[in-house]
Amino acid sequence: MKRLWRWLIPLAAVPVLVLLAYGFRLSPRDIPSPLVGRPAPGFALATLEGAPLELATHRGKVVVLNFWASWCYPACYEEAPVLERNWRGYRERGVVVVGVDVQDKREAALKFVGDFGLTFPVAQDLKGTVSVDYGVYGVPETFFLDRQGRIRVKHVGAVTDDVFRTTVDRLLAEAASP
Amino acid sequence: MNQKRKLIVGGIVIAGALTYMIYAGVTQSAVYFVTPAELRAAPVPGKAYRLGGMVVPGSLKWEPRSLDLSFTLSDGTATVPVRHKGTPPDLFGEGRGAVLEGSWTADGYFKATLIMAKHSEEYKAPHDQSEAGYRELLKTLRGEGR
Amino acid sequence: MTADLGYGMTLIALGLAVYGGVAAGAGARTGRLALIESAQHAALGVFVLVTSCFALLTYAFLTFDFSVRYVATNTNLGTPFYYRITGVWGALEGSIILWSWMLALYTIILIVRHRVGARELYPWALATMLGILAFFLLVMTVAAPPFQRQAPVPADGRGLNPLLEDTGMITHPVALYLGFTGFTVPFAFAMAALITGRIGDTWLVLTRRWTIVAWYFLSLGLLIGGWWSYHVLGWGGYWAWDPVENAAFMPWLTGTAFLHSVMIQERRRMLRLWNISLVILTFGLTLFGTFLTRSGVIASVHAFTQGSIGILFLGFLALVLLTALGLVAWRWETFRSEGELDSVVSRESAFLLNNVLLVAAAFTVFFGTVFPLLSEAVRGVKVSVGAPFFNQVNIPLFLSLVFLMGVGPLIAWRRASLDNLKRNFLWPVALGIAAAAAAFALGVRSLLAALTCATTVFVAATIAVDFTRATRARLRVGESLLPAMGGLLLRHNRRYGGFVVHLGILIIALGVMGSHAWSVQTETTLHRGETAELAGYRFRFDGLTAVEESNHFKVVGALTVSNGRVLGVLRPAKKFYPQEQAPIAYVDYRLGLREDLYLVLGDFARDGSQATIKLQVNRLVSWIWIGGVVLTLGALLAILPERHKSV
Repeated sequence: MKRLWRWLIPLAAVPVLVLLAYGFRLSPRDIPSPLVGRPAPGFALATLEGAPLELATHRGKVVVLNFWASWCYPACYEEAPVLERNWRGYRERGVVVVGVDVQDKREAALKFVGDFGLTFPVAQDLKGTVSVDYGVYGVPETFFLDRQGRIRVKHVGAVTDDVFRTTVDRLLAEAASP
Repeated sequence: MNQKRKLIVGGIVIAGALTYMIYAGVTQSAVYFVTPAELRAAPVPGKAYRLGGMVVPGSLKWEPRSLDLSFTLSDGTATVPVRHKGTPPDLFGEGRGAVLEGSWTADGYFKATLIMAKHSEEYKAPHDQSEAGYRELLKTLRGEGR
Repeated sequence: MTADLGYGMTLIALGLAVYGGVAAGAGARTGRLALIESAQHAALGVFVLVTSCFALLTYAFLTFDFSVRYVATNTNLGTPFYYRITGVWGALEGSIILWSWMLALYTIILIVRHRVGARELYPWALATMLGILAFFLLVMTVAAPPFQRQAPVPADGRGLNPLLEDTGMITHPVALYLGFTGFTVPFAFAMAALITGRIGDTWLVLTRRWTIVAWYFLSLGLLIGGWWSYHVLGWGGYWAWDPVENAAFMPWLTGTAFLHSVMIQERRRMLRLWNISLVILTFGLTLFGTFLTRSGVIASVHAFTQGSIGILFLGFLALVLLTALGLVAWRWETFRSEGELDSVVSRESAFLLNNVLLVAAAFTVFFGTVFPLLSEAVRGVKVSVGAPFFNQVNIPLFLSLVFLMGVGPLIAWRRASLDNLKRNFLWPVALGIAAAAAAFALGVRSLLAALTCATTVFVAATIAVDFTRATRARLRVGESLLPAMGGLLLRHNRRYGGFVVHLGILIIALGVMGSHAWSVQTETTLHRGETAELAGYRFRFDGLTAVEESNHFKVVGALTVSNGRVLGVLRPAKKFYPQEQAPIAYVDYRLGLREDLYLVLGDFARDGSQATIKLQVNRLVSWIWIGGVVLTLGALLAILPERHKSV
């Protein structure tokens, strides 16, 4: 009997290890945006090529509004191919991806767009007013707008294929009533 | 064996004393995390809380001379008016997340004694002012500086 | 190219480490020297490869090689040369390389020092070291690879975290890691002792110097960390009981306990199980600390980003603890103590109490650190535990420990007679009480401050008693004063090194007491030309200037300080880095023996007409740094090779 008691010693470490493992299940508390559910603030900017870009023209489509910058490393670099890939997959289905370049130099932005072969419309928020309107705290941040122009989801950090498709599919499935 | 018994008793006494001290320490100084919604649901005046939420854009009022800072904290569901004495940390601002330590007052606002702002590694914010704004700041200060 | 080369070297190093560990173990088991020698060669290979990786990474940093992801994340074209070198260990991946490199270095030193002297224990110790090294190399390959390729190559990198552009932050991780990794060697020998069943004094004697060296570096790292916190972070404090700080403090506490209990095992052959357990606990806590900093399990100001690395560390921690404790259980029978505790009033008893208090403090810190996790797991309630808890529970423990510092070295072994007690402690006790009375007379009303004064004077007196008695003994034999004193220090360097360390702790204790009890602060907004007053000082705000540097620009406030006569101009600033979310405050301070003036620039008007300044007058904080220097000098004295065996 006495010989077996001693094996409790290593077992003493187990509760602590279990507790620490439990720590992995908890995610840091997200701070929700007060803008979710509200109409998306409109804007009228110019694309990198100089063409006008107004949010209102895309009413009726599901809009993936992505705030980014060329200096935003590494997250924006991770999500750029994801956005381009899904843009090409969804553009015939009534979805538009709009990029808003924040606090950036035009040459750096053009290089970024060229390097990643981005074909969706990209505008520059030179004055920074659009970022403020959307409460953009950092880059990248992506807002998913429904067909009625309301902000439905705010995603903070790099967008993944999974996040993009799940959210856009859900918004597409909703009826396009005014 | 008397020796051993003394040691065991001594050990139990010390363990007991330590347990008591830790228990007292934790119950007195543990601070509860709440969201604005949770706080609004059951506010207890005088109790120490940690309140996390987003600073509602347009609600920030800062009076440098009296060091009075007031703003509204929201979690998308409920809002809490907050007052604080002193400059907030640099990461603090409208439309940004913040965690406050303080207590709920009987007068219906949250008195923050400490403002903490979240700092993230991957995730970067635009400047407070655009680059043009920085240059401007630089120029004005240089003009006034000695 | 660089990325691939580096990655390849890491992979080979991992393979070599695994091979070496297995070979050393097999060699230990079978007694075949060839296997052990092969393991030694493998260890050398690992060291060369890891050093090359380190050099390669540094080279990538120096040449702005943004094709390596880690370089792009941690520098940009504006990062100054100096910080491009030290920035190598500024983030997660680099810190793992640093840790691995130190482990490899310690392994080589272990081989050189012990391959001849410790034939039974050495191979198992080597196997353990290589096994642990293999784990960290695994982390480097799988979870936190420093050599990942970045394509497309960005035009400019992100830049080093501006808080790391500071000398303190350069030495702090290096010292801290030398301490952490240093404790791996005693652990390796403890494992060897358990595996071979030789749990007597051999492993202890072998690791004595390693332990002091590791403890020295850990102390240095903690002190530099406190200094960095004080002069960079801008909150006027030096210790916040932050989870990451606690993670480094816990192994220090248990390591200190081990340093003391070792002496009991040497003298009286007691506490052998306790000592082995302490070493396992200390090493486990270093792993826990590294896990805490990197897994994101507990929120902290310091924490690195999370990822799969947390799971790897937890898994390894589990493996280490279960294996080590399993070995203890296996060898349970051999731990029959040869000595017994004769009396409660004895040196053994004092040392035992010292250990109990230190472990109790470590437990308290541990409990407070994981309590948020525990609370959420058990009750679903999110809480945070802060400084008040830790201070409330730990201060009585620390004060008692300080008191014991005075008792332990002088009280007799086995059983202290009344005569022995009177001879050694009468004067110190009397002086201690007198000091408390004097403090009271001078206006000190805080009980804690009075007790601290009393205890520190008591301990200082005991040290003086011992030193004068020993010097007098030498003078009687014919030596003259200075050689007598010097000779004492050198011949019995372990004992007197210990005394110097204790003196350092006393000075630190006084500094901590002063800063807590008597510091004052205020915050105020001043127009240009206006003056604020605090603690007899006057601060006049002279205005703001803007300065542009290579990778940031800063706004500097000028305040003229005077206390009757003009003392100087302090320039707290705010630095704006383009890649950072917010400006970084740059504290300006004026250090003094009695008090520090400490200024932080808060909000300011864009036209420079007014600024909000936080002012602090912090009392006796400099004593903490002075005490720290004394402490480290004492440790160095103790590390010196001994001329004569002594206790």
